[in-house]
Formats: sequence, C-alpha cells, structure tokens
Amino acid sequence: MVEWAKDGNEPAFRELVRRYERPVFSLLYRMVRDRSLAEDLAQETFIKVLNGIRSYRPEFKFSSWIFKIANNAAIDHLRRRELDTLSLDGSPHAQTPEEMQATALQLGARQESALDAVVSRELGSQIELAIARLRPEYRACILLRHVEGHSYEEIAQMLDLPLGTVKTYIHRARNELRGYLEATRE
Amino acid sequence: MTHQTLHPHLTPDEVELWAQGLLGVARTMHLADCAECLATAERERKLLRDLAQLPRFAPEYGFVDRVMAHVRVPTPSGDFSA
Repeated sequence: MVEWAKDGNEPAFRELVRRYERPVFSLLYRMVRDRSLAEDLAQETFIKVLNGIRSYRPEFKFSSWIFKIANNAAIDHLRRRELDTLSLDGSPHAQTPEEMQATALQLGARQESALDAVVSRELGSQIELAIARLRPEYRACILLRHVEGHSYEEIAQMLDLPLGTVKTYIHRARNELRGYLEATRE
Repeated sequence: MTHQTLHPHLTPDEVELWAQGLLGVARTMHLADCAECLATAERERKLLRDLAQLPRFAPEYGFVDRVMAHVRVPTPSGDFSA
C-alpha cells in the first residue's frame, strides 16, 4: 500500500488514511481530551505523512512513523498549552501577590458546552480519567503499549527514547494507574 | 541463603508476561508461594485487560476528504498533481 502511494496512486493514499484514522485519532483524543483539537492534530499528522511519503524509509514500520508524527504533534501542543496555562497565573514581571492577581486572566465559571458533554461521555470512565492524570510522556507510552499494542522497541523508536526509559515510563505509568483506580474504589 | 534469594519476586516485565500468559512455568510457580506477587500480578492483569478493551474513536465523517484536500499526490515522474 505504501509503495502504491509512493507511486502516486491516490486510492492508496485514501486507504492509508482510512486504515490509520481511528488508532491515530484515538491516541490524539486521549492525549489532548478535545475532539475538535484531536481532529486538527490528526489531520496535520496525515498531511505531513502523505506529503512526505517519498521520504519514508521502509526499515521503519509505517505505523511507527505515523504514530511518531502524531505523538510529536500532541506533545508540542501540550507544551504550548502548558505555557499558556502558566500565563493565566499573572504576568511573570509581577512582583507582589496583588500585581499577580491584577494581571491574571480571569476565566470565571465556564458553562459546560455540548462538546464537553461528548468528551465526558466518551472519556469519562474511571480508567480514562486515570489515564488523563498521567504526565503526557507516560500517557503516550501506556497508550502505545497497552491500547495500540506496540512493542517496547517500537515505542522507543517512535518517541526517540532509550529502551530502558520507555520501560521505566510504562512501569511507573501502570503503578500510577493502579494507584488512581484503587483510590477511586475506596 | 533465603527463600527470597532462591525465588526472587517477579519483575514488572515478568508480571506483564504472566498477565499475557507468556511467563515460563518455573517463574509462574513463584506465584503459588508468594501472595504478594500474586496480588500484584492479578491487579496488573485486570489493568492490562481494561486498557486493551478501551474503545477506538473515529473522527467526524468526511475526515479522509478533508485530509486529501491538503495532500499533493506525486505523479510517477515525481511531480505533484495537486
């Protein structure tokens, strides 16, 4: 299929999107917990993959290549969002608590939108909430390993991490998940 | 030499293998003697089963077309058609 796509076969391009749209979208949705944003990131991922298909190296699994690009998109977004969130606390130049408060962005009580309701219906189970509490690197590893079924070696390749780090992240993530789930049952 | 030295607790990798039914018999036997490892392994198996059963979600209808609107399909000569 990838070879056909490299030869400029448009149906092959479409088939590649159809084959991977659900796993890629599901990973991104669980990473960012926002349907519309996950769809934008998934679209960005496939556009990058398909426009760069000629640079794809077959010694790398195709699915690993797609997930690598998708995960990078999610992590980049989460890092940007973290910076935005920090700015909600007030100007970094503020020197007193009063100045911090005066420069902080006031969000107020936000009404739950219809989209929020969809997210809470789809990602509202205890296990989904526990996954959401993991730090993004752990979340990506645990989803790729235990939801998508990739090997530790593939995940290390996808995330550009040493194999030992991937194993540590996954073991810690599983411990944290068990901890969160047991705490909610008590 | 203590019992724990002779039969060390299962490592996280071994617990994962056991949960997948892939751990060798010799190490699996440890679970018969060690309530601590058995409890951990059973909790782990439940977690892995729950993770494996998570649903996959689909993007909104028309996703393929929205992607293809931004894709340049190469021609056999290496040019791009769109």
